Amino acid sequence: MTDRTITFMEAINEALRQEMRRDETVILMGEDVAGGATLDHIEGQGEEAWGGVLGVTKGLVQEFGRNRVLDTPISESAFIGTTVAAAATGLRPVAELMFVDFFGVCMDQIFNQGGKLRYMFGGKAQVPMVVRTMIGAGLRAAGQHSGCHYPVFTHMPGLKTVVPSCPADAKGLLAGAIRDNDPVIFFEHKVLLFGEGPVPEEEYVLPLGVADVKREGSDVTVVAIGRMVSFALEAAEQLAGDGIEVEVIDPRTLSPLDEGTILDSVKKTHRLIVVDEDNPRCSMAADLVSLVSTQAFDYMDAQPQALTAPHTPVPFSPPLEDFYIPSVDTIVEAVKTAVNGS
Amino acid sequence: MAELSKDELLEIYECMQLIRTFEDRVSGLFAEGKLPGFVHLYAGEEAIAVGVCSHLTDDDFITSTHRGHGHCIAKGVEINPMMAELYGKETGSCKGKGGSMHIADVDKGMMGANGIVGGGGPLACGSGLTAKVKGTDQVTICFFGDGASEQGTMHEAMNLAKIWKLPVVFVCENNGFAESTPVGYHCSAKDISDRATAYNMPGFTVDGTDFFAVHEAAGEAIARARQGEGPSLVECKGFRYYGHFEGDAKAYYTEEMVADFKKRDPIGKFRQGVLDRNLVSEAELDKIDAQAKQTIEDAVKFAEESAYPALEECLTDVYVAYA
Amino acid sequence: MQSKIQNPKSKINMVGIIANPASGKDIRRLVAHGSVFDNNEKSNILQRILLALDALGVEQVSLMPDYYGLGEQALDGLKLSLDASILEMPVLGDENDSTEAGRRFREMGAGSIIVLGGDGTNRVVARGCGTVPLVSISTGTNNVFSRMIEGTVAGLAAGLVAQEAVDVNQVTYQAKRLDIYVNQVWVDMALVDAVACSDLWIGTRAIWDPSHIQEVVLTQAKPGSIGMSSIGVCLQPVDTHDKQGLYIAIGQGGISVLAPIAPGLVTRVDIREHRLLNIGDEITLNPDVRTIALDGERSIEIYQGQTASVRLTNDGPRVVNIQRCMAKAAKTGIFQARTTGKRRDIRCLHV
Repeated sequence: MTDRTITFMEAINEALRQEMRRDETVILMGEDVAGGATLDHIEGQGEEAWGGVLGVTKGLVQEFGRNRVLDTPISESAFIGTTVAAAATGLRPVAELMFVDFFGVCMDQIFNQGGKLRYMFGGKAQVPMVVRTMIGAGLRAAGQHSGCHYPVFTHMPGLKTVVPSCPADAKGLLAGAIRDNDPVIFFEHKVLLFGEGPVPEEEYVLPLGVADVKREGSDVTVVAIGRMVSFALEAAEQLAGDGIEVEVIDPRTLSPLDEGTILDSVKKTHRLIVVDEDNPRCSMAADLVSLVSTQAFDYMDAQPQALTAPHTPVPFSPPLEDFYIPSVDTIVEAVKTAVNGS
Repeated sequence: MAELSKDELLEIYECMQLIRTFEDRVSGLFAEGKLPGFVHLYAGEEAIAVGVCSHLTDDDFITSTHRGHGHCIAKGVEINPMMAELYGKETGSCKGKGGSMHIADVDKGMMGANGIVGGGGPLACGSGLTAKVKGTDQVTICFFGDGASEQGTMHEAMNLAKIWKLPVVFVCENNGFAESTPVGYHCSAKDISDRATAYNMPGFTVDGTDFFAVHEAAGEAIARARQGEGPSLVECKGFRYYGHFEGDAKAYYTEEMVADFKKRDPIGKFRQGVLDRNLVSEAELDKIDAQAKQTIEDAVKFAEESAYPALEECLTDVYVAYA
Repeated sequence: MQSKIQNPKSKINMVGIIANPASGKDIRRLVAHGSVFDNNEKSNILQRILLALDALGVEQVSLMPDYYGLGEQALDGLKLSLDASILEMPVLGDENDSTEAGRRFREMGAGSIIVLGGDGTNRVVARGCGTVPLVSISTGTNNVFSRMIEGTVAGLAAGLVAQEAVDVNQVTYQAKRLDIYVNQVWVDMALVDAVACSDLWIGTRAIWDPSHIQEVVLTQAKPGSIGMSSIGVCLQPVDTHDKQGLYIAIGQGGISVLAPIAPGLVTRVDIREHRLLNIGDEITLNPDVRTIALDGERSIEIYQGQTASVRLTNDGPRVVNIQRCMAKAAKTGIFQARTTGKRRDIRCLHV
């Protein structure tokens, strides 16, 4: 593949840069995506103050200018709605909703406008927009900055949802999301952002709706989402020592969902464990368990299991937050139960 | 502003009369039980849609409201598909998938009626941003009501439009009522144009029942936006004849109010005005009235004779591609 | 000859207030960067007026009702000794409200009327107020007749006049006015200017494009003024107190002048001719006139075949000269009080 290793954050940045070079209708907007707008010592020098709250969009304003990298007010309804209609009228905007927990202040624009426009207009419009947003616990960011919430968006017809688990996927999937002609919500796990991985330098696109089998195995299928993919892979490594071969599947996009890859896997392994950092009710975990139970029931040798966070907001206190997040140990335990019976 | 030519005056009258005739007919059709769902009628506000949209081309954009039929007609959306859309027929503007509250024709720059009060403000910034980024002289009109003026989206949108100097004109159709709640109760500012000061943009109030006042005001505001001088807020004060939606008993209207509406009727005033000045003849206007009736009857016939969409249509148009 | 103040019930010691919620809100905000007078500020001004009237010991204040509720908002939470109430009258929400309020205040025997608005508002108040002295505070766009003055001071002047604490004849003057006739029938009046326009429609009412102006008739052309009267200033200044007016025909053939015809709009205007008018002179307007703007607002539509004329008269409202009123009051010692002993009728000057 490639020898070059960069962080998840740099992979996102590279995808944005390459897409903006390729297509001048791609623009970025969000709170502090450049930062320091109008300040002489920053904008006047063609510089930026932040480049995103964690620096994901750093350096883009220098190359593309303030006309394509737009700092917005803290006004999510306004700029997400702007993104919707800019997309419907000829641009390919990429908005940054700083933390997904903020969806409450702009959801109307996302699902009632962005997600429904095409259908309500009888197919006579398209909305090629992307909303990048940060998810996930692990940085002690507490209740209003740590949720996952991707099932909320996955639930909505008209939206597509993408949750990459590694830098290489993040780059290819973001390029795919930008080139996609439908509205895509792109979830970036804040702990993963700092992680590194091999990423090809050239442009490439990963298609939406195609799961990735991250590790092949014959005994049990573990479907993991986002940060949980790396936990599942670590658990699989441990379990291999015990002679249990775990197949780890990363759906990568939740809508559209690659049902075939998951069903084919459980038909082979006859066991399913879903690992999801999100809350359990009406969740992806529940959805995947339901999928397998209704489509592959006859193949199952054990009842499907869902390992999720508890039905609580994300707590602040470090031991509580650590407890909240599913762990490698619980995955190992669950796999053993599935394989050996309780 | 240049004075309007005779042909232009006749076109304007025709457009206002088409809206009125369409709405009156829809009211009847709804009462007869022929139309599914909800309809919110625009009759009484014709001078606003036509006064504003007569300055626009198909390349310009408008965002609309739940009371959007008038905006559609004024922006050039075809009548037959509109009526068919209200019936939920396959020949509808949106293939019967949107209905009254979502009629749209993006090719005509009509970005949709909107079932969410205040939903159009941020969208107007979006088409405004496209024009700005692409460097075109397209203008976006954001129609919104006095009710929507209390939504956070409108405040956010006006602020954003100003700081980005977007070519957007915010046209507030203050018809006095948010559903059944009077503006005197729901609005802290009463004159919604007062709020423009807070967004540091020009704001002013005109008589929304006077076509010529709206036309002149909108012309100036649109020209300003087109020249890159930024957004403005035009408040048009008027009324609506019908209730919030069809079936609304209108307990909040008094007989005096309705009598006053009739005195201020925008089409009646326009008609009297052009006749008093001998700009057109009564026969010419009567002919337009008759034509409008015929156009709407033809549209009803077209809609009624059209088929409902095939059931497979339920599943299409959600995505451009989904796999 | 100035007529004597005739106030049948002057002892009532009452001030009427007319605040126009619609003033300062027309299209000139956009085309000419006109001042913004939001209604919160008008309400604040009303409060300062009320405090001043209260401090003077004025007994009764009546405020015109309006769709916005400026009066109610001003009275809300204000602690006053005087009897302040909203005038009972139907609210139409148009300019006739101000005329009607002026008429009612006159009938109620108000000693003075305070007007918050521009020239347009004062014009419609003058249609109804008769000889009750006006104190005009500018909250409008074109302000020649009304003045930029702090509400507190305006309140004091209006109160002093209403109480007859100063010689009313000495501190007021009779304004001129322009009467407008269509086919010899009186239709309306103006206080400062009547402008014949080519615009077919009243439209947004405001006038700002000099190419639409045909003729201008002025009661005054005072240096320092804004609006149409500023054209006259460049040709032949006419003071408020001069028994003359000015007629100007716009068009090629004479000189051109640079004048501030609206706030933010200093423009060249071609002058075909101009001449002074005497009281009683009547000008028949060009037959091409289609609308007549009164005090800055297109107000009258003229159809083909109609004849419009403008007549200069001395029948305008009685107006309080605030400066002179305050000077006279100060000179009489009315604001003074010994620190010991009984106060005069000034109870409190904390305003």
